[in-house]
Amino acid sequence: MFDIIIKTLRTGRVTSKYPLKPDIAPVGFRGKPELIPDKCTFCGECTRVCPPGVIWLTKEKEEETLTLSYCGCIFCGMCEEVCPSGAIRLSQEYELASKTKDDLLTIIRRTV
Amino acid sequence: MTVEDEIEIMGQRLNRKIKGLFGRSLSIREVDAGSCNACEVEVNALSNPIYDLERFGIHIVASPRHADMLLVTGPVTRNMELALLKTYNATPEPKLVVAMGSCACNGGIFGETYASSGGVDRFMPVDVYIPGCPPRPQAVIFGLMVAVDKIEQKIRKLEVKA
Repeated sequence: MFDIIIKTLRTGRVTSKYPLKPDIAPVGFRGKPELIPDKCTFCGECTRVCPPGVIWLTKEKEEETLTLSYCGCIFCGMCEEVCPSGAIRLSQEYELASKTKDDLLTIIRRTV
Repeated sequence: MTVEDEIEIMGQRLNRKIKGLFGRSLSIREVDAGSCNACEVEVNALSNPIYDLERFGIHIVASPRHADMLLVTGPVTRNMELALLKTYNATPEPKLVVAMGSCACNGGIFGETYASSGGVDRFMPVDVYIPGCPPRPQAVIFGLMVAVDKIEQKIRKLEVKA
């Protein structure tokens, strides 16, 4: 009993001050995937490997569009692994909550 | 203004709003609509000493009739459709629905199949989406901040109606 009290007092305060102070995710945390438009070659490798299928490539006559939706993304990192040009990178960012689904889309375009 | 300043202001605003709008408390009913339980583990973590949601006056309650907010996890399986709708109808107005986790947002890894309907927004208006598989407890706290911003608009709408 006495030991437990001593231990509790020694531990001190553990509550994080999160909304008041930013909390940085640990190294290796898989957060928001980011597309780098300059590096992307629109090969479509990531669309094939994505398990929930939230990355899709649309090809029109003059424009190619790569869309990534965080809504449904399981943050597995397979797109980052498979990308030959390193155009997808998983960042440490995790504050993704939004009021609409459209805010959760990332779109990059290129003209052919 | 740096990002740190912004977050600090947001935290203070959340506390003030909850105190002002709900009489110091926001009650959450957590609904498991066929989740894999990873999201539930994160919700449990919210009430431990490290994240301690009670310090903001946010409580997790045992009945939808006591709740201001539904926190739905999981892709809404066929067996949970009716239960989820009943829970939604039992929650008093003004109510908020927060879709927590990628499954609740969009079906996630379960997708749309015979047994899973793919997203909470098929059945009810969703106010806030929190993506993540599962989202970190900090991400859920951030989502609640976003949601509280929204309920102010809803209360105003009800006042205009009345």
